[in-house]
Amino acid sequence: MEELLQEIVNVLVVVVEACGAAVIIIGAVWAFLLFLWVGLRDRSTRNFVPVRLTLGRFLALGLEFQLAADVLKTAVAPSWEEIGQLAAIAAIRTALNYFLGKEIAEEKRQIEEDREAPSDAATDPTHHRRTGGSG
Amino acid sequence: MSSTLVAVTGAMSQVVAAIAVVSGGLALAVTRRPGPALGVLLDLLVAAGLLRLVGDPDWQTIAVTGTVVALRHLISYGLRLGERSLEETPRGAPGPTTRPRPPRDIVGRLLRPAWRR
Repeated sequence: MEELLQEIVNVLVVVVEACGAAVIIIGAVWAFLLFLWVGLRDRSTRNFVPVRLTLGRFLALGLEFQLAADVLKTAVAPSWEEIGQLAAIAAIRTALNYFLGKEIAEEKRQIEEDREAPSDAATDPTHHRRTGGSG
Repeated sequence: MSSTLVAVTGAMSQVVAAIAVVSGGLALAVTRRPGPALGVLLDLLVAAGLLRLVGDPDWQTIAVTGTVVALRHLISYGLRLGERSLEETPRGAPGPTTRPRPPRDIVGRLLRPAWRR
């Protein structure tokens, strides 16, 4: 019975980790294509931020899958060394997920500020003086 | 099954690392600013590091990935802090310590010191 459970958990861990890896790979390739598109078409720094936001979302989703695989692994972790390695990996992934979440929130805020800035500038009569509108 | 997954993700992590270098170079060439280019490079390098953690990595791989992730966050934090301080300082505006006093103010202070007011 225990061996059967171990077999099932091992298969599930591989499947869930493969899902996480697939999400990360797809996100990296998608972000690369977007970087190429934005870099060759627009040539502005501002347009790189939404692409990084997209990549961050993919990474966060992939990390969630990998953390799920870590939780599954705890069902069968026979030796202390394996438990230690699992704890280290889970700590890295959890910390990364936390910081990614913060970064995504920060970049979202930045995008919203950038969206609001042109409308503020349009209503502000002194805007042309501040931004050097004469040139 | 697990060894196949590890082999595939290992190969893909190298592909993603190559993508990171190309994207970082492209961002640097397009924007001519190292900050966003380094951000792009580090984001994709973290993706490559995460792929390396799939399977049952040994202690060395875990330590290297953990160090890279920590370094990456330290560098990103430093970059964001630097950009923010640059954005908050208006271009061409001198700081409070370097602002020269107008000559009339200096003459006035010499002719009428504070104790005579």
